Amino acid sequence: MNTHEYDAVVIGGGIAGFIAALKIVDAGYKTAVISRGDPVCCLSTGCIDVLSNSDNPLKAIKDLSEDHPYQIVGKKGVTEALEYFIEIMKETALPYRGEVKKNRGILTPVGTIKKTCLVPETMKNAIGDNEEPIHVISFKGIKDFYPSYITSRISNSGFSVFDAKSVTTLGIAGRFEDRDFLRSFISWAQDLDIPHVKIALPAVLGLNEPLKIMKELSLRTNKEIFEIPTLPPSIPGMRLFRALKSALEVRGGHIYWGKPVSSVERQGSRVEAITLATSGKPSRVCGRSFILATGSFVSGGLFALRDSVRETVFDLPVFVPGHRKDWFNNNFFTQGHEIEKAGVLIDPSFRPKDSNLENLFVCGSIIAHSEIMKNQCGHGIAIATGAAAAMKCIKELS
Amino acid sequence: MTFEHCVRCTICVENCPIFKINPSFPGPKQSGPDAQRFRLDGEGSVDEWVRLCCQCKRCEVSCPYGVSVADIILNAQLKYSSEHFSPFAAHLFANTNYLGMFASFFAPITNRLTRLSPVKNILSLLGLSNHLPLPQYRFLSMSRTRRNKGKGIKKVVFFTGCYLNYNDPDTGRGIRDLLVSLGCRVVIPQQMCCGLPSLGNGDREMAQRFAKKNAAVLVDYINKGYSVVYACTSCGLTLVHDYPEILKIPEGKRIAENTYNVHEYILGLIEEGYAQIRFGEVNKRIAYHIPCHLRALGIGYPAARLFEKIPSLKVHILDDNCCGLSGSYGFKKKNQSSCVKLGEIASNAILETGAEALVSDCGACRMQLGHFSSLPALDPSQIILESLQNAAVQAQTNKRSLL
Repeated sequence: MNTHEYDAVVIGGGIAGFIAALKIVDAGYKTAVISRGDPVCCLSTGCIDVLSNSDNPLKAIKDLSEDHPYQIVGKKGVTEALEYFIEIMKETALPYRGEVKKNRGILTPVGTIKKTCLVPETMKNAIGDNEEPIHVISFKGIKDFYPSYITSRISNSGFSVFDAKSVTTLGIAGRFEDRDFLRSFISWAQDLDIPHVKIALPAVLGLNEPLKIMKELSLRTNKEIFEIPTLPPSIPGMRLFRALKSALEVRGGHIYWGKPVSSVERQGSRVEAITLATSGKPSRVCGRSFILATGSFVSGGLFALRDSVRETVFDLPVFVPGHRKDWFNNNFFTQGHEIEKAGVLIDPSFRPKDSNLENLFVCGSIIAHSEIMKNQCGHGIAIATGAAAAMKCIKELS
Repeated sequence: MTFEHCVRCTICVENCPIFKINPSFPGPKQSGPDAQRFRLDGEGSVDEWVRLCCQCKRCEVSCPYGVSVADIILNAQLKYSSEHFSPFAAHLFANTNYLGMFASFFAPITNRLTRLSPVKNILSLLGLSNHLPLPQYRFLSMSRTRRNKGKGIKKVVFFTGCYLNYNDPDTGRGIRDLLVSLGCRVVIPQQMCCGLPSLGNGDREMAQRFAKKNAAVLVDYINKGYSVVYACTSCGLTLVHDYPEILKIPEGKRIAENTYNVHEYILGLIEEGYAQIRFGEVNKRIAYHIPCHLRALGIGYPAARLFEKIPSLKVHILDDNCCGLSGSYGFKKKNQSSCVKLGEIASNAILETGAEALVSDCGACRMQLGHFSSLPALDPSQIILESLQNAAVQAQTNKRSLL
């Protein structure tokens, strides 16, 4: 068996895990991230939602229930975490724009306007209401993206279709990284003589350097360009994941890919080590402190059985909102199912409640009462609690 | 996890290098779990496109549900190949072991022959790609030079793999000497190809034959208290994953439990306190291209952890790109355009870092990226050796100045 030693071990390689790891590495501690597979962030729009059903997320925090993670982090903590995130993304190929005090609108692939807090630079110019006329450029045969449907909801808009010889967002994004393709696309777009000021495209402007491509396109067509997030596979989500991952690697954090935690070693009230199920001999990862960021049901941090809900790594006690018949709801599309409240209860120091573990901290959507769908907080909870749990962890380490 | 556990989230598709550049390949989700529901034991395979997968295993590493996407595709590839005619190139590369033995024995002749344009044309007609010069062979392979070295307590059996043995034996001997200098007794046993090229070219029987022979030798050493150490990450993944899981070698599990990546092993020696290493300055900026199969091993990046200990060394880790050569995949004409496109993407990423050299654990990655980026392509052990030599020189000058 091979042993690796760290100051902090973060279990879960999603946004919460990476933000926590980045903060701890920045404080000068040796940190590892354990990832079982790429996170659900790769399927997301790449936008950071913070209480998106409100206009000012900071003000809306006080209307949440007392158990809500934002209440535990506090207004100041949420602001600092989001600012830290913006700061990190500045160094990457994908800077983020937006204000913590104000949600803004962006255009969705069905032509509606959705509110969000921070957006990647490629969506900076997105229209915030259905009044501003735009021109949509789509690609022949692209899946789940219907430009006529979008323009039917926006006044005085039009669309054109380019044949990229690929029907998937990832395939088209790959083609955009080819110089010759980009040149032919630009000259096609120039010949269109678009009357509108803004051009919208599905989010396919390359995977690695979207800003370079966007700037060139904007310069040569003399239009404002913005991307519309697409259904999975989602390029902006993947860019966000890769940017955070590289930021951690640049700072000297270590990542263990693709292997689940198979067992946990405890010594009294401390977690000593975890074992990874690698092919061949298992790897033992020791740490002075641990951060649990395995996510909720979709990410595999929580697992629902017929009669209970389990936390999958440490078997921590899980809060469930009553019996299954109490929270079961026939209407799938209802805003906020009760079961969303399920998760690990934490105390103000971000340690799990009722478990006496003193060097384990919890962050991300696995925290009870997050209700991400209901409050529309995709990634917001992850960033706020990731940074907050990391601060508590740093305190423990020092 | 089986194909039934797939929830069709498409994260594997996002990570597939071939899907991104070749529209004929439907991607890992469709060629793996989706198509698997229609593959019945008694029925013939019709999905020729499964052969377009290069087995980089990125799909499997990225899957949040632990579905063995790459294994499903590999088994489908093997099934398809067993039922259909395989082109000459596939037969040639399945025999990498014998190819290496033969070409190395007649090295000066074979190397010159493969550079002649008529020979190139013939090989191209036979389905070999010509974007990359064919690998050069060396007569003084590792198996022809010293195979027992060192007298330490730690006993190591070094699985060199074909590339280090026949094509790059100097690097291989460097790794051997590195282990010896850290106090290991190193044995390089009589060994066959690990079997990966045979699997990749659809010949399960041959892979099984190689695996059985290797397993017998390795288990014999393991029983005598040796640890197996590999430097080539693809050979390593075959030993620890494919032997027990795909080839169902009975000793597979025992081998897997006693097999180490060479840098992982060195780190272990340092952490145990067995080896005390003084790392000297290496004043270089390097781009460390992580081979796909190192990621798939799930052991982190051990060489990168050693690099952290070397003063003045600047390392850029690049782990998002497949080099595109993928062993013999890129040497086949039908894969040439995919291979070239991926090679350019990966080498551009390397060049953008402004590095003066690229480093990679995998011989195939070094061949491909060295060609596309025109940078010197090194094995991580070469950087470590340089550091140790610099430390020795430094120590000597210090001694002199004291005198």
